[in-house]
This record gives sequence, C-alpha cells and structure tokens, in this order.
Amino acid sequence: MYRSQKLSLRYYTAAVALFGVMIVFGLLSALYYLYPAMLYNVFDFHMSKIMHIDTLVIWLLMGFLGAVYWYLPKELGIEVEGMWLAELMFWIFCVAVAIVALVFVFVQYGSANEFSMWFINQGRKYVEAPRWAAIGIVVVMAVFAYNVIATCIKARKMTGIMWVLVLDLIPLLAVYLDAFPAVTNMSVDLYWWWWLVHMWVESTWEVLIGCVMALVLMDVMGTSRRIVETWLYIEVMLVLGAGILGLGHHYFWIGTPQYWLGIGGFFSALEPLPLLGMVVHAIYDAGTHRMKTTNQPAFFWITAEAFGNFIGAGIWGFMMTLPQINLFSHGTQWTVSHGHFAFYGAYVCGIIAVLYVAKQQTSGVDMLAGRAWKWGFGLLNFGMVGMVMGLLLAGMAQAFYGRAIGGSTLMAFTSASENAWFVSGMWARLFFGFVFAAGYVVLVYDLLTAPKRVPVTRARLEPA
Amino acid sequence: MTASALLETAALLGLFVLAGGGYGSLYSAGRLWSRPALIRAGGICWALTFVLALTIAIHTPLDPGWKLLILASAVVYAVIPPLTWRYLERLHDEQEPHQ
Repeated sequence: MYRSQKLSLRYYTAAVALFGVMIVFGLLSALYYLYPAMLYNVFDFHMSKIMHIDTLVIWLLMGFLGAVYWYLPKELGIEVEGMWLAELMFWIFCVAVAIVALVFVFVQYGSANEFSMWFINQGRKYVEAPRWAAIGIVVVMAVFAYNVIATCIKARKMTGIMWVLVLDLIPLLAVYLDAFPAVTNMSVDLYWWWWLVHMWVESTWEVLIGCVMALVLMDVMGTSRRIVETWLYIEVMLVLGAGILGLGHHYFWIGTPQYWLGIGGFFSALEPLPLLGMVVHAIYDAGTHRMKTTNQPAFFWITAEAFGNFIGAGIWGFMMTLPQINLFSHGTQWTVSHGHFAFYGAYVCGIIAVLYVAKQQTSGVDMLAGRAWKWGFGLLNFGMVGMVMGLLLAGMAQAFYGRAIGGSTLMAFTSASENAWFVSGMWARLFFGFVFAAGYVVLVYDLLTAPKRVPVTRARLEPA
Repeated sequence: MTASALLETAALLGLFVLAGGGYGSLYSAGRLWSRPALIRAGGICWALTFVLALTIAIHTPLDPGWKLLILASAVVYAVIPPLTWRYLERLHDEQEPHQ
C-alpha cells in the first residue's frame, strides 16, 4: 500500500466520524422544530444547524481528499509528491475542525467585531468557521493541489481524468476565496456568496466527484478508461454549459436584476436532461457488469448515486426551480427536502462507494459481499427517502399556508409552523432521521468488520 | 398564482420529470433484457410525460415561455434514452476489440 493510501484511510476515518457528528446535529435540529424552546439560551437551534451543515461540508471534503489520495498513486504509478506536507495538513485539518467545533458548541457567538470574525464565527452561512480556520482550509486545499500537480509532473504522465482533476483544482481553490469578503450590502454579499455555495459545492465538487467516480468505475466494474473519460468530458461540458448559469436560480429574490429569473429558470430547467442520461448509463452498466463486480456494496452505492441524483436534483429540483413556484417555496422546508436529497444522491452515495473500495483492498478479499452492508444500504436509503418526503410535506404546507395564503407575514409564518401538515412532516422527518442514523451505525459496523472470504467464482454467480 | 395552483403546478412539474425518468428506466431495462413489453411500458411513460407537459401548458398559470420550454423538454426526453443507449453500445463495441 502506498503512503498516500494510508493517509487516505485516515481521511476516510475522519470523514466517517464527522458523518456521524452531522447526523447527531441533524437529529437535534429536527427536534427543535417540534420543541422550539428546547435548550433555549443553552444551545440554540442556529448553532445546531451550523454544526449540521458545516460538518456535512467538511466530511464530504475529507471524503474527496481521501479518494484522490487513494487513487492518485494508482493512476500515475508513483507515490504522491510532498507526502510529509500532506500528512501534516491532515493533522492540522483535524485539529482545526475540532477547535472550531468546540468553539461553536461552547462559545457559540461573540460581539459584532473583528475578534468574533477571526476567532469565533465568521458569520457567513455555511462557511461560519472563523477566519483563521477558513484560511486553514485554503492552505489544506493549496497543499492538496500541490500534491496532485507535483505528482503529475514527477510521473511525466497525464491521463484524461488527471487533466480534468488538475483543471478543477483551479476553481476549487479560487472559488473558496469567496468565503472571505465581509461586504455590508446584503445583496452584493449574497451575490458573491452564492458563487461560493453554488460554484464550489455544486460545480467544482460535481467535477471532482465525477473524477472520483470515473476511477471507481474502472476499479469496481472494470469499465474501460475510454468510456469513463468520454463520460467525464460530457459531464464537464454539461457543468460548464448548464451548471454555471444554473447559479441563476439562487439569484431570484436577493435584489439582483430581473433577468436572472429567466437565466436561472432556463438553465435549471435543463438540468434534469443530463441526469436522465446518467440513469440510462447506470442501467446499462448495471446490466452489462452486474455479474462481474467483486464489490457489491460499492456497485450498489454507485447505482444509487445515479438514481439519487436524478430524483433529488432532477425531480425535487424541477418542482421548485421555476421562478413562479420558487417565489413561494424558497427558504421553506421544501428547499431543505431538495437539498437533502440532492446532496445525498450526488455526493454521499459516491463517497460511501469509495469507502467500500478501500475496505475491499485493505482487507485483501477477492469478493466483498455479506449481509450487513445491505442493511446499511437499505436503512440509509429508506431513512433518506422518508426524511425528504416528510420535509416536502412540511415545506409544501409552509408554501401553501404561510406564503400563498398568508402572504409571507410573520403571523402567517408562525401559524404555518403550527399547522398540522407541517408538524406531521417534521415528526416524519425525525422518525426517518432515526432510521437514517440506524443505517449509519450499520454502515460503520460493516466498514469496521473484517469481511468473510467468499470464493469469487461462486459469488459471481449468486444474485446480488 | 393561487395557493391551490401553486401545489398543483409543482406536483405536475415533479411528475413530469418522474415520468421522464420512468421512461428512461423502463426503456433501458427493456433494451437490457430484450423485453419489448418493458420498452412499450417506457413508451407509455413518455406519452404520460407529454400529456403532463400539455396539462402544464394548458392548465397552469406559468408564463408562456416556461410552458414552451417544458413542451420542448418533453420532446427532448423522447430522444435521450435511445440516443444514450446507442452511444453506449457503440462505445462498448468499439472498446471490446481493444480489451
């Protein structure tokens, strides 16, 4: 095993641990909707939500870094350059995350001054980490970029996947710098902030997970390089074509010019089309490679990613992306429902697939099968579908009663929050949140348990 | 837009994409296992996609531009699965002699 793959396993461990923290704070956040006075002035809802969302971003990022450190030496045939720096950055990253989490839990907030911005909370949604930690993330990403580029140069080898990855590193690093401005005009601030949220998370991450999935597909299903690289180029083209201007659907109600309604709606409406192509591709691959895979869990999670992406981003997104609908739905639990499903489909399933690839290779078994992963797969998917259905119900109640009938007043918001449909939806979300948490426990158990040794020839013939 | 129209329109938009996805899935499954019945079921799903697009165009208060876009999307949905499938087959056929 390469040294960078050992580092990758550390990243995976940290990512899975943070995945658990994210779930804990997700459950806590769900409880606040049912018991709004819970922990009042001790640990308020907004801190729980910050922990939930920020750990989501960090665990996925760690999963991506782990995946790239795993595959880089395999792809280029040499050890990753600057490993000591990469290992140092991993520990700095972990310590920084721990300090920020402790500050969020025990200090929570400070006065509106420079000290708070640098050491407590930057005050920008989704990138609340204090400025010193945000600079730390830039340094980690810069070292990561150095590792990738220097290894490519040393190997004197560039594959199509590596070209896409290297080019993606530029926006991955540059767009994150958008986390720093402290603009006092809220419209201007949100205008650039969405570059960070949409372009970083929804565009550069899409390309990054595309590169990772291309490598996983070659590994798990033996798909040829030419095929995965062709699809990767198509994906990049679609991200550049529809994804960038799809940013416009975030500009609807923040004080930007009216033309964004047309641009955002149009490009967002195009987004389900490539996702449909992905579904067809997934079925094609599932059919032609099903009996050939030696890693059933990874294979099923890859397939779940294609369907989850289509349903979460495609169906859930299209329901609310046109401006006339979005006027009522934005900022409600409806959006939360879409966000949960889309993130789960696009990234979470992919990262879990990568975890199983690592498990198979570290345990040295020819065939990874068993029963526990099926329970994990079932509970996580069932839990997520239940949660998003509950959130959709609650969100539609908010849009219907609070926005369309009540006219978006504070009183309408309050009464919609007490509406039976809303409350039922939030109870459903909590229940299925626990189902999801149970799935996580099974997933961790399965990842940590040594796999049974199954002869490949026999296992291949058994239905999955 | 009235409160009822909001939910009806959103539901129709979601069902529209869902039916498109159903068409893609059934078409692909039919081609994969050579089951014409599944391909026909996929065709019914696409017909449903088009009917939903028409319903959106006729019965919802969306602006005409969005209605046209949805109708055009319904037509594009029809060609994506067969086009993707053919492309995948060609790609795999070209690749196999090299493996």
